[in-house]
Amino acid sequence: MRDVIIFVEHVQGQPRRVSLEIASKAKEIATALGGTVHAIVLGKNASAAAEALKAYPVDTIHVAEDPDIDAYFIDPSVDYLEAAAKAVGPALVLVPYTMIGRDLGSRLAARLDAGQTADVTDVVVDGGKVACVSPKLGGTVLTSCAFKGDYGIAAIRPNSFKAAQSAGAGTIVQLEKPAGKTYRIKVDEEVVEAAGELGVEEASTVIAGGRGVGGPEPFSTILKDLADSLGGSVGASRAAVDAGWIGHGHQVGQTGKTISPNLYIAVGISGAIQHKVGMRTASTIVAINKDGTVPIGEFADLLVVGDLFSIVPELSKQIRAGHS
Amino acid sequence: MKILVTVKLVPDTTAEKRIDPSTKRLVRTGVETVLNPFDEYAIEAALQLKEKAGGDTTVTIVTLAPESGKEIVRKALAMGADDALMISDPAAEGSDVWGTAYALAQAIKKNGFDLVIAGTQSTDSTTGELPGALAEYLGVPGVTYVRKLDLDGTALKAERETDTGYAKVSTDLPALVSVTKSINEPRYPSLKGIMGAKKKTIAVQTLADAGVDKPIGSDAARTEVTNLETPPARGKGQIFEAADAVAGATKIVEFLRERKLV
Repeated sequence: MRDVIIFVEHVQGQPRRVSLEIASKAKEIATALGGTVHAIVLGKNASAAAEALKAYPVDTIHVAEDPDIDAYFIDPSVDYLEAAAKAVGPALVLVPYTMIGRDLGSRLAARLDAGQTADVTDVVVDGGKVACVSPKLGGTVLTSCAFKGDYGIAAIRPNSFKAAQSAGAGTIVQLEKPAGKTYRIKVDEEVVEAAGELGVEEASTVIAGGRGVGGPEPFSTILKDLADSLGGSVGASRAAVDAGWIGHGHQVGQTGKTISPNLYIAVGISGAIQHKVGMRTASTIVAINKDGTVPIGEFADLLVVGDLFSIVPELSKQIRAGHS
Repeated sequence: MKILVTVKLVPDTTAEKRIDPSTKRLVRTGVETVLNPFDEYAIEAALQLKEKAGGDTTVTIVTLAPESGKEIVRKALAMGADDALMISDPAAEGSDVWGTAYALAQAIKKNGFDLVIAGTQSTDSTTGELPGALAEYLGVPGVTYVRKLDLDGTALKAERETDTGYAKVSTDLPALVSVTKSINEPRYPSLKGIMGAKKKTIAVQTLADAGVDKPIGSDAARTEVTNLETPPARGKGQIFEAADAVAGATKIVEFLRERKLV
Protein backbone atom coordinates (compact mmCIF):
# COMPACT_ATOMS: atom_id res chain seq x y z
CA MET A 1 0.00 0.00 0.00
CA ARG A 2 1.80 3.15 -1.11
CA ASP A 3 -0.39 5.44 -3.18
CA VAL A 4 -3.57 7.03 -1.92
CA ILE A 5 -6.72 7.08 -4.02
CA ILE A 6 -9.51 9.47 -3.09
CA PHE A 7 -13.05 9.41 -4.41
CA VAL A 8 -14.21 12.99 -4.88
CA GLU A 9 -17.91 13.60 -4.34
CA HIS A 10 -19.21 16.70 -6.10
CA VAL A 11 -22.49 18.52 -6.56
CA GLN A 12 -22.83 19.82 -10.11
CA GLY A 13 -19.09 20.20 -10.55
CA GLN A 14 -18.43 21.66 -7.10
CA PRO A 15 -16.43 19.26 -4.89
CA ARG A 16 -18.11 18.69 -1.53
CA ARG A 17 -16.15 20.11 1.36
CA VAL A 18 -15.56 16.66 2.86
CA SER A 19 -13.77 15.66 -0.35
CA LEU A 20 -11.50 18.70 -0.10
CA GLU A 21 -10.79 17.81 3.54
CA ILE A 22 -9.86 14.30 2.38
CA ALA A 23 -7.67 15.65 -0.45
CA SER A 24 -5.70 17.75 2.03
CA LYS A 25 -5.14 14.83 4.40
CA ALA A 26 -4.40 12.38 1.57
CA LYS A 27 -1.28 14.28 0.55
CA GLU A 28 0.11 14.03 4.08
CA ILE A 29 -0.56 10.27 4.14
CA ALA A 30 0.90 9.70 0.66
CA THR A 31 4.03 11.66 1.53
CA ALA A 32 4.54 9.53 4.66
CA LEU A 33 4.08 6.39 2.54
CA GLY A 34 6.32 7.62 -0.29
CA GLY A 35 3.46 7.57 -2.80
CA THR A 36 1.21 10.00 -4.66
CA VAL A 37 -2.44 11.05 -4.49
CA HIS A 38 -4.88 9.98 -7.18
CA ALA A 39 -8.29 11.64 -7.21
CA ILE A 40 -11.23 9.98 -8.98
CA VAL A 41 -13.97 12.34 -10.17
CA LEU A 42 -17.01 10.89 -11.92
CA GLY A 43 -20.21 11.92 -13.63
CA LYS A 44 -21.74 15.01 -15.18
CA ASN A 45 -19.57 18.14 -14.62
CA ALA A 46 -16.66 15.99 -13.38
CA SER A 47 -14.26 18.12 -15.46
CA ALA A 48 -15.38 21.26 -13.64
CA ALA A 49 -14.88 19.50 -10.29
CA ALA A 50 -11.43 18.39 -11.46
CA GLU A 51 -10.51 22.01 -12.26
CA ALA A 52 -11.64 23.10 -8.77
CA LEU A 53 -9.59 20.27 -7.29
CA LYS A 54 -6.39 21.62 -8.84
CA ALA A 55 -6.15 24.10 -5.95
CA TYR A 56 -5.68 21.12 -3.59
CA PRO A 57 -2.65 18.84 -3.19
CA VAL A 58 -3.52 16.02 -5.60
CA ASP A 59 -1.05 14.60 -8.10
CA THR A 60 -3.29 12.90 -10.66
CA ILE A 61 -6.97 13.55 -11.29
CA HIS A 62 -8.79 10.72 -13.07
CA VAL A 63 -11.96 11.95 -14.73
CA ALA A 64 -14.94 10.26 -16.44
CA GLU A 65 -18.04 12.09 -17.65
CA ASP A 66 -19.75 9.00 -19.12
CA PRO A 67 -23.55 9.65 -19.07
CA ASP A 68 -24.12 6.11 -17.70
CA ILE A 69 -22.64 7.26 -14.38
CA ASP A 70 -25.68 9.43 -13.65
CA ALA A 71 -28.23 7.42 -15.64
CA TYR A 72 -27.65 4.32 -13.49
CA PHE A 73 -27.24 4.12 -9.73
CA ILE A 74 -23.86 3.15 -8.22
CA ASP A 75 -22.72 0.28 -10.49
CA PRO A 76 -20.97 2.38 -13.19
CA SER A 77 -19.17 4.35 -10.47
CA VAL A 78 -18.01 1.13 -8.79
CA ASP A 79 -16.72 -0.15 -12.14
CA TYR A 80 -14.74 3.02 -12.79
CA LEU A 81 -13.35 3.03 -9.26
CA GLU A 82 -12.38 -0.62 -9.47
CA ALA A 83 -10.62 -0.10 -12.82
CA ALA A 84 -8.79 2.97 -11.51
CA ALA A 85 -7.77 1.21 -8.28
CA LYS A 86 -6.41 -1.76 -10.22
CA ALA A 87 -4.50 0.54 -12.58
CA VAL A 88 -2.93 2.41 -9.66
CA GLY A 89 -2.08 -0.80 -7.78
CA PRO A 90 -1.98 -1.49 -4.04
CA ALA A 91 -3.30 1.60 -2.32
CA LEU A 92 -5.22 3.15 0.50
CA VAL A 93 -8.60 4.27 -0.83
CA LEU A 94 -10.35 7.13 0.96
CA VAL A 95 -14.05 7.78 0.44
CA PRO A 96 -16.26 10.23 2.35
CA TYR A 97 -18.40 8.69 5.09
CA THR A 98 -21.54 10.01 3.41
CA MET A 99 -24.48 8.09 1.93
CA ILE A 100 -22.82 7.67 -1.45
CA GLY A 101 -19.36 7.18 0.02
CA ARG A 102 -20.58 4.33 2.25
CA ASP A 103 -22.12 2.56 -0.73
CA LEU A 104 -19.10 3.04 -2.96
CA GLY A 105 -16.60 2.07 -0.29
CA SER A 106 -18.39 -1.11 0.72
CA ARG A 107 -18.90 -2.20 -2.88
CA LEU A 108 -15.32 -1.49 -3.86
CA ALA A 109 -14.09 -3.40 -0.80
CA ALA A 110 -16.15 -6.41 -1.87
CA ARG A 111 -14.85 -6.17 -5.45
CA LEU A 112 -11.25 -6.03 -4.29
CA ASP A 113 -11.83 -8.47 -1.41
CA ALA A 114 -10.31 -5.74 0.73
CA GLY A 115 -10.77 -4.57 4.29
CA GLN A 116 -12.77 -1.48 5.05
CA THR A 117 -13.13 0.78 8.04
CA ALA A 118 -15.96 3.21 8.53
CA ASP A 119 -16.39 6.54 10.23
CA VAL A 120 -12.66 7.26 10.31
CA THR A 121 -11.64 10.48 12.05
CA ASP A 122 -7.87 10.17 11.71
CA VAL A 123 -5.33 8.26 9.63
CA VAL A 124 -1.90 7.68 11.15
CA VAL A 125 1.13 6.42 9.23
CA ASP A 126 3.86 4.88 11.35
CA GLY A 127 6.80 3.01 9.84
CA GLY A 128 4.99 2.64 6.52
CA LYS A 129 1.94 1.13 8.21
CA VAL A 130 -1.47 2.76 8.02
CA ALA A 131 -3.81 2.87 11.00
CA CYS A 132 -7.33 4.26 10.74
CA VAL A 133 -8.78 5.73 13.91
CA SER A 134 -12.54 5.54 14.44
CA PRO A 135 -14.62 6.44 17.47
CA LYS A 136 -16.77 3.46 18.46
CA LEU A 137 -19.62 3.02 20.91
CA GLY A 138 -20.63 6.61 20.54
CA GLY A 139 -17.16 8.00 21.00
CA THR A 140 -16.38 6.21 24.29
CA VAL A 141 -13.60 4.21 22.64
CA LEU A 142 -11.14 5.10 19.89
CA THR A 143 -10.11 2.09 17.84
CA SER A 144 -7.09 1.92 15.55
CA CYS A 145 -7.55 -0.41 12.66
CA ALA A 146 -4.96 -1.80 10.24
CA PHE A 147 -5.51 -3.43 6.84
CA LYS A 148 -4.13 -6.85 6.01
CA GLY A 149 -4.24 -6.95 2.19
CA ASP A 150 -3.01 -4.90 -0.76
CA TYR A 151 -5.88 -2.45 -0.60
CA GLY A 152 -7.56 -0.81 2.36
CA ILE A 153 -10.69 1.30 2.16
CA ALA A 154 -11.42 3.97 4.72
CA ALA A 155 -14.59 6.06 4.88
CA ILE A 156 -13.73 9.43 6.39
CA ARG A 157 -16.13 11.29 8.67
CA PRO A 158 -16.77 14.88 7.52
CA ASN A 159 -15.18 17.64 9.64
CA SER A 160 -12.25 15.39 10.59
CA PHE A 161 -9.61 17.35 8.68
CA LYS A 162 -9.09 20.92 7.51
CA ALA A 163 -9.46 21.60 3.80
CA ALA A 164 -6.25 23.49 3.04
CA GLN A 165 -5.56 24.88 -0.42
CA SER A 166 -2.12 24.02 -1.76
CA ALA A 167 -1.90 23.13 -5.43
CA GLY A 168 -0.42 19.78 -6.42
CA ALA A 169 0.57 18.62 -9.89
CA GLY A 170 -3.11 18.12 -10.70
CA THR A 171 -2.50 16.23 -13.94
CA ILE A 172 -5.86 15.35 -15.49
CA VAL A 173 -6.28 11.90 -17.01
CA GLN A 174 -9.45 10.66 -18.73
CA LEU A 175 -10.63 7.25 -17.50
CA GLU A 176 -11.63 4.71 -20.12
CA LYS A 177 -15.10 3.22 -20.01
CA PRO A 178 -14.95 -0.25 -18.47
CA ALA A 179 -15.85 -2.70 -21.24
CA GLY A 180 -18.62 -5.30 -21.34
CA LYS A 181 -20.78 -3.96 -18.51
CA THR A 182 -24.55 -3.80 -18.33
CA TYR A 183 -26.26 -1.65 -15.74
CA ARG A 184 -29.47 -2.58 -14.02
CA ILE A 185 -30.53 0.19 -11.63
CA LYS A 186 -32.01 2.98 -13.69
CA VAL A 187 -32.26 6.44 -12.12
CA ASP A 188 -35.69 7.67 -13.23
CA GLU A 189 -35.66 10.95 -11.38
CA GLU A 190 -33.29 12.78 -9.05
CA VAL A 191 -34.90 15.30 -6.70
CA VAL A 192 -32.81 17.88 -4.83
CA GLU A 193 -34.82 19.07 -1.84
CA ALA A 194 -32.28 20.92 0.27
CA ALA A 195 -30.35 22.82 -2.39
CA GLY A 196 -27.32 24.57 -0.93
CA GLU A 197 -27.93 23.27 2.59
CA LEU A 198 -25.40 20.86 4.05
CA GLY A 199 -26.63 17.67 5.70
CA VAL A 200 -26.11 17.38 9.46
CA GLU A 201 -23.16 15.04 8.90
CA GLU A 202 -21.21 17.62 6.95
CA ALA A 203 -22.31 20.87 8.60
CA SER A 204 -19.75 22.48 10.90
CA THR A 205 -22.56 23.93 13.04
CA VAL A 206 -25.72 22.00 13.91
CA ILE A 207 -28.75 23.40 15.73
CA ALA A 208 -30.79 20.42 16.93
CA GLY A 209 -34.26 20.38 18.40
CA GLY A 210 -35.85 17.79 20.67
CA ARG A 211 -39.04 17.01 22.49
CA GLY A 212 -38.96 20.39 24.26
CA VAL A 213 -39.47 22.14 20.94
CA GLY A 214 -43.06 20.91 21.11
CA GLY A 215 -44.01 20.67 17.42
CA PRO A 216 -42.90 20.90 13.80
CA GLU A 217 -43.17 24.68 13.40
CA PRO A 218 -40.08 25.83 15.37
CA PHE A 219 -37.88 23.60 13.21
CA SER A 220 -38.69 25.66 10.13
CA THR A 221 -38.82 29.01 11.97
CA ILE A 222 -36.68 29.77 15.04
CA LEU A 223 -34.26 26.81 14.74
CA LYS A 224 -33.83 27.31 11.00
CA ASP A 225 -33.27 31.01 11.56
CA LEU A 226 -30.60 30.36 14.21
CA ALA A 227 -28.94 27.82 11.89
CA ASP A 228 -28.97 30.40 9.07
CA SER A 229 -27.46 33.08 11.32
CA LEU A 230 -24.54 30.73 12.12
CA GLY A 231 -24.27 29.16 8.65
CA GLY A 232 -25.33 25.79 10.09
CA SER A 233 -27.91 23.08 9.54
CA VAL A 234 -30.89 21.86 11.53
CA GLY A 235 -30.75 18.51 13.34
CA ALA A 236 -33.15 16.70 15.64
CA SER A 237 -33.42 14.11 18.38
CA ARG A 238 -35.23 10.85 17.90
CA ALA A 239 -38.25 12.10 19.87
CA ALA A 240 -38.74 14.95 17.40
CA VAL A 241 -38.29 12.69 14.36
CA ASP A 242 -40.60 9.98 15.70
CA ALA A 243 -43.23 12.63 16.39
CA GLY A 244 -43.04 13.53 12.70
CA TRP A 245 -41.88 17.10 13.34
CA ILE A 246 -38.90 16.79 10.97
CA GLY A 247 -37.52 14.20 8.51
CA HIS A 248 -35.38 11.24 9.54
CA GLY A 249 -32.43 12.59 7.55
CA HIS A 250 -32.00 15.20 10.30
CA GLN A 251 -31.85 12.71 13.17
CA VAL A 252 -28.74 12.67 15.34
CA GLY A 253 -28.11 9.73 17.65
CA GLN A 254 -27.93 5.98 17.83
CA THR A 255 -30.66 5.36 15.27
CA GLY A 256 -29.74 8.46 13.29
CA LYS A 257 -26.45 10.05 12.35
CA THR A 258 -23.21 10.31 14.29
CA ILE A 259 -21.66 13.70 13.78
CA SER A 260 -18.65 15.80 14.84
CA PRO A 261 -19.48 19.44 14.14
CA ASN A 262 -17.43 22.31 15.56
CA LEU A 263 -20.52 23.57 17.34
CA TYR A 264 -23.64 21.69 18.40
CA ILE A 265 -26.51 23.60 19.94
CA ALA A 266 -29.07 21.28 21.53
CA VAL A 267 -32.44 22.96 21.96
CA GLY A 268 -35.00 21.27 24.18
CA ILE A 269 -33.02 18.01 24.11
CA SER A 270 -32.53 16.15 27.39
CA GLY A 271 -29.43 14.28 26.16
CA ALA A 272 -30.25 10.63 26.87
CA ILE A 273 -27.52 8.11 26.04
CA GLN A 274 -29.04 7.31 22.60
CA HIS A 275 -28.71 10.96 21.63
CA LYS A 276 -25.36 11.52 23.33
CA VAL A 277 -23.62 8.81 21.28
CA GLY A 278 -24.48 10.67 18.08
CA MET A 279 -23.00 14.05 19.06
CA ARG A 280 -20.61 13.71 21.98
CA THR A 281 -17.60 14.19 19.68
CA ALA A 282 -18.73 17.70 18.71
CA SER A 283 -15.98 20.20 19.58
CA THR A 284 -18.33 22.48 21.52
CA ILE A 285 -21.77 21.61 22.88
CA VAL A 286 -24.22 24.26 24.03
CA ALA A 287 -27.63 23.28 25.38
CA ILE A 288 -30.75 25.34 25.97
CA ASN A 289 -33.30 23.70 28.23
CA LYS A 290 -35.96 24.79 30.69
CA ASP A 291 -34.78 22.08 33.10
CA GLY A 292 -31.36 22.49 34.75
CA THR A 293 -31.19 18.83 35.80
CA VAL A 294 -31.32 17.23 32.31
CA PRO A 295 -28.55 14.68 31.51
CA ILE A 296 -27.08 16.94 28.81
CA GLY A 297 -25.90 19.23 31.63
CA GLU A 298 -23.37 16.52 32.53
CA PHE A 299 -21.48 16.80 29.25
CA ALA A 300 -22.44 20.08 27.56
CA ASP A 301 -19.83 22.82 27.70
CA LEU A 302 -22.60 25.27 28.50
CA LEU A 303 -26.18 24.62 29.57
CA VAL A 304 -28.41 27.67 29.60
CA VAL A 305 -31.53 27.10 31.66
CA GLY A 306 -34.45 29.12 30.37
CA ASP A 307 -37.25 29.43 27.84
CA LEU A 308 -36.01 28.21 24.45
CA PHE A 309 -38.85 29.95 22.59
CA SER A 310 -37.57 33.38 23.62
CA ILE A 311 -33.81 32.63 23.95
CA VAL A 312 -33.40 31.12 20.46
CA PRO A 313 -34.82 34.10 18.50
CA GLU A 314 -32.91 36.54 20.75
CA LEU A 315 -29.72 34.56 20.10
CA SER A 316 -30.22 34.76 16.31
CA LYS A 317 -30.81 38.49 16.66
CA GLN A 318 -27.63 39.04 18.71
CA ILE A 319 -25.51 36.90 16.38
CA ARG A 320 -26.77 38.84 13.36
CA ALA A 321 -26.15 42.16 15.15
CA GLY A 322 -22.60 41.05 15.96
CA HIS A 323 -21.92 40.29 12.32
CA SER A 324 -23.26 43.56 10.96
CA MET B 1 -41.37 -15.34 -4.39
CA LYS B 2 -38.65 -15.81 -1.79
CA ILE B 3 -37.92 -12.76 0.35
CA LEU B 4 -34.97 -12.99 2.71
CA VAL B 5 -34.40 -10.46 5.47
CA THR B 6 -30.95 -10.14 7.03
CA VAL B 7 -30.92 -9.30 10.74
CA LYS B 8 -28.27 -8.70 13.37
CA LEU B 9 -28.43 -9.31 17.08
CA VAL B 10 -27.09 -6.30 18.98
CA PRO B 11 -26.72 -5.21 22.60
CA ASP B 12 -29.74 -3.35 23.94
CA THR B 13 -29.59 0.22 22.66
CA THR B 14 -30.04 1.71 26.12
CA ALA B 15 -27.15 -0.30 27.63
CA GLU B 16 -23.70 1.20 28.17
CA LYS B 17 -21.45 -0.89 25.93
CA ARG B 18 -17.77 -1.67 26.28
CA ILE B 19 -14.98 -3.36 24.36
CA ASP B 20 -12.88 -6.15 25.87
CA PRO B 21 -9.27 -4.88 25.74
CA SER B 22 -7.85 -8.39 25.24
CA THR B 23 -10.03 -9.54 22.34
CA LYS B 24 -10.69 -5.95 21.13
CA ARG B 25 -14.30 -6.98 20.50
CA LEU B 26 -17.57 -5.72 21.84
CA VAL B 27 -18.56 -7.42 25.08
CA ARG B 28 -21.83 -9.19 24.33
CA THR B 29 -22.26 -11.01 27.62
CA GLY B 30 -24.08 -9.53 30.59
CA VAL B 31 -25.95 -7.16 28.29
CA GLU B 32 -29.42 -7.87 27.00
CA THR B 33 -29.39 -8.74 23.30
CA VAL B 34 -32.07 -7.42 20.98
CA LEU B 35 -32.89 -7.44 17.28
CA ASN B 36 -31.10 -4.52 15.65
CA PRO B 37 -33.86 -1.86 15.66
CA PHE B 38 -33.11 -0.91 12.02
CA ASP B 39 -33.85 -4.49 10.95
CA GLU B 40 -37.43 -4.29 12.21
CA TYR B 41 -38.14 -1.91 9.32
CA ALA B 42 -36.71 -4.48 6.89
CA ILE B 43 -38.92 -7.22 8.38
CA GLU B 44 -41.99 -4.99 8.19
CA ALA B 45 -41.22 -4.10 4.54
CA ALA B 46 -40.95 -7.81 3.70
CA LEU B 47 -44.22 -8.64 5.48
CA GLN B 48 -46.05 -5.86 3.64
CA LEU B 49 -44.77 -7.15 0.30
CA LYS B 50 -45.85 -10.66 1.22
CA GLU B 51 -49.32 -9.50 2.24
CA LYS B 52 -49.69 -7.63 -1.04
CA ALA B 53 -48.28 -10.36 -3.29
CA GLY B 54 -49.98 -13.26 -1.51
CA GLY B 55 -49.67 -16.68 -3.15
CA ASP B 56 -46.55 -18.61 -2.34
CA THR B 57 -44.46 -15.64 -1.14
CA THR B 58 -42.32 -16.49 1.88
CA VAL B 59 -40.29 -14.34 4.27
CA THR B 60 -37.16 -15.95 5.72
CA ILE B 61 -34.94 -14.34 8.35
CA VAL B 62 -31.17 -14.83 7.89
CA THR B 63 -28.58 -14.06 10.52
CA LEU B 64 -24.99 -14.81 11.46
CA ALA B 65 -25.12 -15.17 15.23
CA PRO B 66 -24.43 -17.59 18.08
CA GLU B 67 -27.15 -20.17 18.65
CA SER B 68 -27.83 -18.54 22.03
CA GLY B 69 -29.60 -15.79 20.08
CA LYS B 70 -32.32 -18.16 18.85
CA GLU B 71 -35.09 -16.70 21.03
CA ILE B 72 -34.34 -13.20 19.77
CA VAL B 73 -34.63 -14.40 16.18
CA ARG B 74 -38.01 -15.80 17.21
CA LYS B 75 -39.25 -12.24 17.72
CA ALA B 76 -38.87 -11.71 13.96
CA LEU B 77 -40.96 -14.85 13.44
CA ALA B 78 -43.53 -13.52 15.91
CA MET B 79 -43.83 -10.40 13.76
CA GLY B 80 -44.89 -12.73 10.93
CA ALA B 81 -41.86 -14.08 9.10
CA ASP B 82 -42.25 -17.71 8.03
CA ASP B 83 -38.96 -19.23 9.13
CA ALA B 84 -35.34 -18.41 9.91
CA LEU B 85 -31.85 -19.50 8.98
CA MET B 86 -29.17 -18.98 11.61
CA ILE B 87 -25.54 -19.44 10.71
CA SER B 88 -24.01 -20.29 14.08
CA ASP B 89 -20.40 -21.32 14.13
CA PRO B 90 -17.60 -20.53 16.57
CA ALA B 91 -15.33 -20.15 13.52
CA ALA B 92 -17.33 -17.07 12.52
CA GLU B 93 -16.38 -15.17 15.70
CA GLY B 94 -14.56 -11.93 15.11
CA SER B 95 -15.69 -11.63 11.47
CA ASP B 96 -15.36 -8.15 9.99
CA VAL B 97 -17.76 -6.60 7.44
CA TRP B 98 -16.05 -8.57 4.67
CA GLY B 99 -16.48 -11.93 6.42
CA THR B 100 -20.05 -11.27 7.51
CA ALA B 101 -21.15 -10.12 4.07
CA TYR B 102 -19.42 -13.02 2.37
CA ALA B 103 -20.93 -15.63 4.69
CA LEU B 104 -24.44 -14.18 4.46
CA ALA B 105 -24.17 -14.03 0.66
CA GLN B 106 -23.11 -17.67 0.42
CA ALA B 107 -25.95 -18.79 2.69
CA ILE B 108 -28.50 -16.67 0.83
CA LYS B 109 -27.38 -18.01 -2.56
CA LYS B 110 -27.56 -21.58 -1.30
CA ASN B 111 -31.05 -20.99 0.09
CA GLY B 112 -32.25 -19.26 -3.07
CA PHE B 113 -33.84 -15.78 -3.18
CA ASP B 114 -35.72 -13.27 -5.25
CA LEU B 115 -35.37 -10.27 -2.96
CA VAL B 116 -33.09 -9.59 0.01
CA ILE B 117 -34.07 -6.79 2.40
CA ALA B 118 -31.62 -5.37 4.94
CA GLY B 119 -31.71 -2.59 7.51
CA THR B 120 -29.57 0.47 6.82
CA GLN B 121 -27.10 -0.09 9.64
CA SER B 122 -26.72 -1.73 13.02
CA THR B 123 -26.83 0.11 16.32
CA ASP B 124 -23.60 -1.48 17.59
CA SER B 125 -21.04 -1.06 14.82
CA THR B 126 -23.10 1.58 12.90
CA THR B 127 -20.90 1.37 9.81
CA GLY B 128 -23.71 0.94 7.25
CA GLU B 129 -21.33 -1.05 5.06
CA LEU B 130 -23.02 -4.42 5.01
CA PRO B 131 -25.80 -3.91 2.41
CA GLY B 132 -23.44 -2.70 -0.33
CA ALA B 133 -20.94 -5.49 0.23
CA LEU B 134 -23.74 -8.07 0.37
CA ALA B 135 -25.20 -6.90 -2.97
CA GLU B 136 -21.74 -7.20 -4.50
CA TYR B 137 -21.24 -10.78 -3.28
CA LEU B 138 -24.76 -11.74 -4.36
CA GLY B 139 -24.07 -10.21 -7.78
CA VAL B 140 -27.45 -8.46 -7.87
CA PRO B 141 -28.57 -4.80 -8.04
CA GLY B 142 -28.29 -3.21 -4.60
CA VAL B 143 -30.71 -0.37 -3.94
CA THR B 144 -29.80 1.27 -0.64
CA TYR B 145 -31.52 3.79 1.68
CA VAL B 146 -34.98 2.97 0.34
CA ARG B 147 -37.92 4.86 1.85
CA LYS B 148 -40.59 3.66 -0.59
CA LEU B 149 -40.73 0.29 -2.29
CA ASP B 150 -43.09 -1.13 -4.92
CA LEU B 151 -43.00 -4.50 -6.61
CA ASP B 152 -44.95 -5.40 -9.71
CA GLY B 153 -44.05 -8.95 -10.69
CA THR B 154 -40.28 -8.77 -10.93
CA ALA B 155 -40.22 -5.03 -11.62
CA LEU B 156 -38.98 -3.11 -8.60
CA LYS B 157 -39.48 0.62 -8.16
CA ALA B 158 -38.02 2.49 -5.22
CA GLU B 159 -37.43 5.91 -3.78
CA ARG B 160 -33.95 6.21 -2.28
CA GLU B 161 -32.91 8.86 0.20
CA THR B 162 -29.86 10.86 -0.83
CA ASP B 163 -27.81 13.47 1.00
CA THR B 164 -29.59 16.21 -0.93
CA GLY B 165 -33.11 14.80 -1.35
CA TYR B 166 -34.24 11.60 -2.99
CA ALA B 167 -34.07 9.65 -6.24
CA LYS B 168 -36.58 7.39 -7.97
CA VAL B 169 -34.94 4.26 -9.33
CA SER B 170 -36.10 1.07 -11.00
CA THR B 171 -34.62 -2.38 -11.47
CA ASP B 172 -35.60 -6.04 -11.76
CA LEU B 173 -35.47 -8.98 -9.36
CA PRO B 174 -33.40 -10.64 -8.09
CA ALA B 175 -32.17 -7.66 -6.08
CA LEU B 176 -31.19 -6.39 -2.65
CA VAL B 177 -32.69 -3.35 -0.99
CA SER B 178 -31.78 -1.68 2.29
CA VAL B 179 -34.55 0.30 3.92
CA THR B 180 -34.52 3.40 6.14
CA LYS B 181 -36.72 4.19 9.11
CA SER B 182 -38.93 6.34 6.90
CA ILE B 183 -40.33 3.36 5.01
CA ASN B 184 -42.87 2.09 7.54
CA GLU B 185 -43.86 1.65 11.17
CA PRO B 186 -42.84 -1.86 12.26
CA ARG B 187 -45.68 -3.87 13.80
CA TYR B 188 -45.58 -5.30 17.30
CA PRO B 189 -45.89 -9.07 17.44
CA SER B 190 -49.48 -10.06 18.24
CA LEU B 191 -50.24 -12.67 20.89
CA LYS B 192 -51.23 -15.02 18.06
CA GLY B 193 -47.95 -14.23 16.33
CA ILE B 194 -45.95 -14.96 19.46
CA MET B 195 -47.73 -18.29 20.00
CA GLY B 196 -47.38 -19.20 16.33
CA ALA B 197 -43.66 -18.39 16.29
CA LYS B 198 -42.98 -21.18 18.77
CA LYS B 199 -43.81 -23.72 16.07
CA LYS B 200 -41.86 -22.04 13.28
CA THR B 201 -38.55 -23.48 12.08
CA ILE B 202 -35.23 -21.88 12.92
CA ALA B 203 -32.65 -23.86 10.95
CA VAL B 204 -29.24 -23.65 12.62
CA GLN B 205 -26.34 -24.23 10.25
CA THR B 206 -22.57 -24.29 10.49
CA LEU B 207 -20.54 -22.26 8.02
CA ALA B 208 -19.96 -25.44 6.01
CA ASP B 209 -23.73 -26.26 5.99
CA ALA B 210 -24.42 -22.76 4.72
CA GLY B 211 -22.01 -23.13 1.82
CA VAL B 212 -19.36 -20.75 3.17
CA ASP B 213 -16.27 -21.99 1.38
CA LYS B 214 -13.65 -19.61 2.81
CA PRO B 215 -12.54 -18.95 6.39
CA ILE B 216 -14.23 -15.79 7.70
CA GLY B 217 -13.46 -15.42 11.43
CA SER B 218 -11.03 -13.05 13.11
CA ASP B 219 -7.92 -14.67 11.55
CA ALA B 220 -9.35 -14.26 8.05
CA ALA B 221 -10.59 -10.71 8.61
CA ARG B 222 -9.24 -8.09 6.21
CA THR B 223 -8.90 -5.63 9.03
CA GLU B 224 -7.32 -5.87 12.44
CA VAL B 225 -7.93 -3.70 15.47
CA THR B 226 -4.43 -2.77 16.63
CA ASN B 227 -5.18 -0.40 19.46
CA LEU B 228 -7.94 0.79 21.76
CA GLU B 229 -7.95 4.06 23.58
CA THR B 230 -10.39 5.73 25.87
CA PRO B 231 -10.66 9.38 24.92
CA PRO B 232 -10.88 11.81 27.82
CA ALA B 233 -14.48 11.97 29.03
CA ARG B 234 -16.37 15.17 28.39
CA GLY B 235 -16.40 17.03 31.64
CA LYS B 236 -19.37 18.83 33.08
CA GLY B 237 -19.45 22.39 31.79
CA GLN B 238 -21.11 25.52 33.04
CA ILE B 239 -24.75 25.75 33.92
CA PHE B 240 -26.26 29.21 33.59
CA GLU B 241 -29.69 30.10 34.90
CA ALA B 242 -31.03 32.69 32.47
CA ALA B 243 -33.17 35.34 34.13
CA ASP B 244 -34.64 36.23 30.73
CA ALA B 245 -34.09 35.74 27.00
CA VAL B 246 -31.59 38.58 26.67
CA ALA B 247 -29.46 37.26 29.55
CA GLY B 248 -29.53 33.71 28.14
CA ALA B 249 -28.67 34.78 24.60
CA THR B 250 -25.96 37.18 25.78
CA LYS B 251 -24.34 34.41 27.82
CA ILE B 252 -24.26 32.10 24.78
CA VAL B 253 -22.86 34.78 22.46
CA GLU B 254 -20.10 35.59 24.99
CA PHE B 255 -19.28 31.91 25.33
CA LEU B 256 -19.15 31.44 21.54
CA ARG B 257 -16.92 34.53 21.22
CA GLU B 258 -14.49 33.15 23.79
CA ARG B 259 -14.22 30.00 21.68
CA LYS B 260 -14.02 32.03 18.48
CA LEU B 261 -17.15 30.35 17.14
CA VAL B 262 -18.79 33.61 16.16
